[in-house]
Amino acid sequence: MAVLHAWRAARVTPLGELHAPPRMTAVLVRLIVQVVLVASLWNGLYDRTTVSAGMSREQAVTYAVLAVLASRLRELDQYAGRDTVIQHMHFGTIVYWYLRPLSPARYHALRALGEQVYGAAWALAGYVVCLAAGVVQPPGSAAVGGVFVLSMLLGQLVLYHVMLLLDQMCFWTVRNSAAMLILIFAQNLMSGVYAPLWFFPAWFRTLSTFLPFQATLNVPLSLYVGRIELSDAPLQLAIQAGWVVLLHLFTRFLWRRAARRVISQGG
Amino acid sequence: MIGSIEVRSLSRSFHTTVRRPGFTGALRSLVNPERAVKHAVSDISFDVAPGELLALLGPNGAGKSTTIKMLTGILTPTSGEARVAGVVPYEDRERNARNIGAVFGQRTQLWWDLPVRESFAILRDIYEVPGAEHAARLKEFDDILELSSFWDTRVRHLSLGQRVRCDLAAALLHDPPVVFLDEPTIGMDVVVKEQVREFLRHQVEQRGRTVLLTTHDMTEVERLAERVVLVNHGRLVLDGTLDEIRRKYGSTWQVRATLADAHTDVVPPPGITLLRQEGPQVVFGPDGPDAPTVHQALKAVIERYEVTGIAIDEADLEDVMRAAYVHAGPGAEGA
Amino acid sequence: MNAVKIAWRVTRLNFRSQLEYRTEFLLMVAIGAIWQVSVIVFATVLLTRFTGMGGWDSSDVLLIPATRMLAHGLFVLVLGRMHGIGRFIQEGQIDVYLLRPMPVHRQVQLQYFPTNAIGDLTVATGLMAGALSRSHLDWNAGRVTYLVVCLVGGMLLEAALFTAVASASLRFPTADYWSRWLEELLGTFGSYPLNVLPKAVGGFLTFGIPLAFVAYFPAAVLTGHGHDTGVPYWLAAASPLIGVLAYLASRLLWRWSLNHYTGVNG
Repeated sequence: MAVLHAWRAARVTPLGELHAPPRMTAVLVRLIVQVVLVASLWNGLYDRTTVSAGMSREQAVTYAVLAVLASRLRELDQYAGRDTVIQHMHFGTIVYWYLRPLSPARYHALRALGEQVYGAAWALAGYVVCLAAGVVQPPGSAAVGGVFVLSMLLGQLVLYHVMLLLDQMCFWTVRNSAAMLILIFAQNLMSGVYAPLWFFPAWFRTLSTFLPFQATLNVPLSLYVGRIELSDAPLQLAIQAGWVVLLHLFTRFLWRRAARRVISQGG
Repeated sequence: MIGSIEVRSLSRSFHTTVRRPGFTGALRSLVNPERAVKHAVSDISFDVAPGELLALLGPNGAGKSTTIKMLTGILTPTSGEARVAGVVPYEDRERNARNIGAVFGQRTQLWWDLPVRESFAILRDIYEVPGAEHAARLKEFDDILELSSFWDTRVRHLSLGQRVRCDLAAALLHDPPVVFLDEPTIGMDVVVKEQVREFLRHQVEQRGRTVLLTTHDMTEVERLAERVVLVNHGRLVLDGTLDEIRRKYGSTWQVRATLADAHTDVVPPPGITLLRQEGPQVVFGPDGPDAPTVHQALKAVIERYEVTGIAIDEADLEDVMRAAYVHAGPGAEGA
Repeated sequence: MNAVKIAWRVTRLNFRSQLEYRTEFLLMVAIGAIWQVSVIVFATVLLTRFTGMGGWDSSDVLLIPATRMLAHGLFVLVLGRMHGIGRFIQEGQIDVYLLRPMPVHRQVQLQYFPTNAIGDLTVATGLMAGALSRSHLDWNAGRVTYLVVCLVGGMLLEAALFTAVASASLRFPTADYWSRWLEELLGTFGSYPLNVLPKAVGGFLTFGIPLAFVAYFPAAVLTGHGHDTGVPYWLAAASPLIGVLAYLASRLLWRWSLNHYTGVNG
């Protein structure tokens, strides 16, 4: 029975998308345009340079394009479904999350899981096309590919918890849309979506190592393009796993606080 | 006890920040907020028997919603105790959740982007309702609420009346013995309202569900509730039948008469008061503790005035409630 | 005159209401700091790594992100509420505005005070100061005037793009999604000399989504690269005018869309 409700909750997003073909077209167009733009930008930047920040043209382009694909994993129109925490707080419908025999934390996780799996389908399709078109390089070896997949999974777990933190913020401050935009920008910047982290000044990268953002994308992508050697992989994977555990404990604590806040204020 | 609600000395107060007026006031509140305590519900006790429909009445801000939130487990009381179907709702929220269904006015629990039937399916799996039972219940709801004509539509495209009917069905799909409805028919047209009332009557009489309802629609109260609880300023003012409220706050009778001469100077007989006058149409009601019975009043009116038509009415419930809200405490508005 | 008085009063009230939400306001201030550092790092990182980008001197390149960000800051402060309005429209809030005796566009602009514009403008001003101090150009009155005119033009162009998307939001619920993408595109591709990109891509960013007119063309004209931008010199030089025209056109589109607004959710 638990499998059933998990399946139902997970498929809310994909189902909503399938019921709205214009949204799917939008995702497709945006993905194509963004890949073309990013690939041309990095090719253009490398016109007079062969290696920069320890990355060759192929590595940089592959990294940047994969970053675009990976960022699609959770960048859907989250508000369209009116099922975000901020909207539930705004419409006062958050009470229903606390009226069901399914904990809000679990429901939230199931919804995100469905969303990420759906996004992964898009990313994978994009990856296959880009690989066939020669835009991205294949991984150096089967081992690199395997480590990348593992690291990517951990990265997605870290990402889930970072996004969850943003959602949980809404329990304390309803009017945080501007703050959220800024934090999403920080997440994109410090995870390497805008530019590979290797291009940033040393102090910035040092700062990043103390933050969870780089564990979401920079680590798996660097492993993929070979900017992080396979021999360093265990350490990096351990750091990612550490972040997952840490963030999980923290968000679990916040869920309890959020519940206490809801039941002391009445939603 | 399955399906019963017991409320004992339930109280709830909130801490709020006092907003100082003016620009500097806003800045000062930012640095040094001033707190105040507001008693939303104070010392309320009542019982609802299994299979009973109770209307919780009171003006806006009287504490009705706060009470319902405590009984659904969303809000913890400051003091006092409540039991819903034997469970303390705010202590065992998930167990309570299986026993209750709730609709909060226009706030929908349906998934905005999905066809309604998908929402029903999600809820079915969350509440672990067997498939056959789910289908049978859906059919039963559809018979009265006529959901099937629009349940394949996405929620965002439903009209208000359609959405609230779906929300009602969604709240009852897991067969809860206790149902909380916070202004369920607000903003609906008369046809839909009648449909919802019929549905609720069916659920109470045929299915034996306990229903706690808040509403401002007195027709609804008259049609559905045998018993009402009246709250104002967070306190319980009256717990009884509609007749008791009528006796306490309303005139027990009204005499409507049509005068032959519209310009008659109307001075009512002793113990009788003039409630309304529109041209030749006048309405009399009892005045004070020594008011005459309706028969004596009828006789007195006919003797005193030249009338072309006369009729006896029960007092209008809206008038009774207005009197009750005003009686129950000073400054009822905006409390 | 009365309109200005109302606008000023509402803006004051809006600013006060920002103070009401204590946690939110303090959070905004704290997060503003992270934001400022990140933006400067991002804007400068590629410029320092790839010197001589597109045949430009790196001190010249810096002028592009500085112009872009300052124009953006002005946009957020003055006309920024057009951005992200899609959700607001989908919730049916525009219906309320249609009932009031004030132009809907103005009411939208007076919705709330853009606290974040303070952060945006601070960073942008700092970046511009840095770009000007490194610049080897002779900043005579003519250049300065042109730069100021271009900033206003850039602000209007960005406003025009978001007003167009907002007009679309009145009809299509998905338009909000495009608005967020547009912001991302402006932020990421508005800061480089676009001649590093292939012709077709550069053309798309000039005539498809005209972000080249916001900062790239003005900076090219100012720094003497105006002849190799891929468009005629006069067109690049006329960027501010393009901004004004685009904005006027977008307002006409907004008015037209509003007249054809049929409401949301029936």
